[in-house]
Formats: sequence, C-alpha cells, structure tokens
Amino acid sequence: MEMPETPDEELVRRTQAGDAQAFDALILRFSPRLYGLVYHMTSSHEDTNDLLQDIFSKAYRSIKGFQGKSSFYTWMHTIAVNMTINFLKKRNRRKTMSLDDADNGILNNQDFIEATSSGDPSREANLSELQKRLNESMLKLSHDHRAVVTMFDIQGMPHAEISKVLKISEGTVRSRLFYAHRQLQNYLQEFIDK
Amino acid sequence: MDNEDSITKLLRLKRYEQPPEEYFQNFLTEFQTRQRSEVIHRPLMHIAWDRFSSLFVMPPIPKLAMASSVLAAVFTTAFILNWSDDVEPSSLTLTSSGAVQLDSKNQTSPSKVGSTVHYVLPASPVSYASARSF
Repeated sequence: MEMPETPDEELVRRTQAGDAQAFDALILRFSPRLYGLVYHMTSSHEDTNDLLQDIFSKAYRSIKGFQGKSSFYTWMHTIAVNMTINFLKKRNRRKTMSLDDADNGILNNQDFIEATSSGDPSREANLSELQKRLNESMLKLSHDHRAVVTMFDIQGMPHAEISKVLKISEGTVRSRLFYAHRQLQNYLQEFIDK
Repeated sequence: MDNEDSITKLLRLKRYEQPPEEYFQNFLTEFQTRQRSEVIHRPLMHIAWDRFSSLFVMPPIPKLAMASSVLAAVFTTAFILNWSDDVEPSSLTLTSSGAVQLDSKNQTSPSKVGSTVHYVLPASPVSYASARSF
C-alpha cells in the first residue's frame, strides 16, 4: 500500500520551522513541473538548470514570508515566471541564444514518437523539423505571450490559475492566448494543414 | 477554432521534452552543494547586514495589541508634556526687600497654597570688583 503524500502546506510549515529536509521534498516534488515551465520559456537546458537553482534558492530564502494566501504551487510558479522573464530580458540584450541548445533527446522519446505517429510516414519523418519549428515559433513570441502559452497549452494549467500566477485578469490571459495562437498559426501553418 | 485546437495539440507535444528521471535527484544534490558553498562564501557585508537587521526583529505581536500600546504611549507622553508645562516658574517675582515670591495662583501643590516662599538674598549687592583692588 502506498503511503499518502505529505501535503505541501505541511512541508512548507516544517521548512519555515527550519527543517531543510522538508524543503528537499518540495524540490523533488516541484522541480519536474518548474523545469518544464522554465525550459519551454528559455528553450535551453543549460539556462534552465541554472535558473531553476536560483529559483529554489530564492524560494528558500523567502519561504518565511510565505503566508499561505495562495497555494505554494502558485507562489512557486510566480517566482519562476518572474525570474525567467527577467532572465529573458537580459538574454535578449546579449542575443547569443542558439537553437542548438534545443532538446534533441525528444526525438528518441517513445511517448513523443507515439504521440506524433498518425500513420502518415511523411509526418513521422518530419519530427525533427516539427520540433525545430515549435521551438523557433515559441521564441518569436513576446515573453508575456510565451509564459501564457507555456502554462496553458503545454502545462495544461486553467485560465484562473494562470491569472493568479501572473497577477492579471482572466480576460487578459484569454486575450494573450488568442494573439499568441494567431501568431503561432502563421509560423506553424504547414504542420496544421497536414 | 479547429486551427486553435491543432495549435494546442502541437504545443502539447513539447511536454515530452523532459530530462531523464535521474536528473532531478542530481539537481537536488547540486542544490544542496550550492547552498552550502553560498553559506561559506557569503560576502561579509551580507553577514553584517543580517546581524544588524536581526537586532530589530520584533516578536509577533497581534496588530490590535500593538495599536493600543502605541496609543497608550502617545497619551502618556502628551499627559506628561502637559503637566510639566503647568509648573513652569513663570510667576516668580522679586520683592523690594530682596525676597523672591512665587505667585500663589500658579502653585500646583495643595500643601503650599497660600504660603509665600522666601529666598534670602544678601542685603548688600555683591561686588564684582576684585577684593585685591585698592
């Protein structure tokens, strides 16, 4: 029988009381999801790794001020999105981003191959091209639009949760999604038609 | 709308771009190592600032109790300032006999009401001339 998972609130309370192991448990619980969030906004594993370290460091330093007005999940996402957007603004100034950083392991991922397999051989042959175009399209979006697309389309978060994370209205979330999708349709038209 | 759904489906494929499982265990180890090294290599200024700010850390006091203590402190201060204004020796007068008299209507102590305070001054004025002068 599987042991019930300790609730986030309990781990947060223990961390606030000085239990470092409780924070380790929070890292293991949240890092896969936050990794996805940061990676899809930066398109670089190296940057994601560094940023994620900084994000958890910041969360650990500020956790005493966390009063539980929002869920810990929302609080962590807000820190992650804000730090990633700040990082992207600085990186834009450097303009050294290369798509070589983009994930190549995905092409050997069985789940990905199955998900994209539609019985159409030309489509399967274009996996690499699709991945490249997806990453390029994401990088063409503004930081704010990219954040919304990442949370809604890739991570499957509801509008209400995104609005809490970004501290904007649900209407603004929907409008950003609308414009971002319109832009993406232009970039990815050939994959949509197929 | 169909196009929107297609976009969402295409973007969901990006979910599979995840590092292998062991990455997250290594990530935790790296985090702990970095945290320890941060503690060791912390700039002196940060340590000094932390110590300084810890001097001003207040225990958690309920807001109402805090507000009432501040109000009490303000009223007490105002009362003390008012009271000390009342006893200013503004009504001391020097009589022709050389005595200093306190105006009785300004006295605050009931035991001294009606009494005259006399300060004995030398009858002849003090000479500031040097005693050795001829």
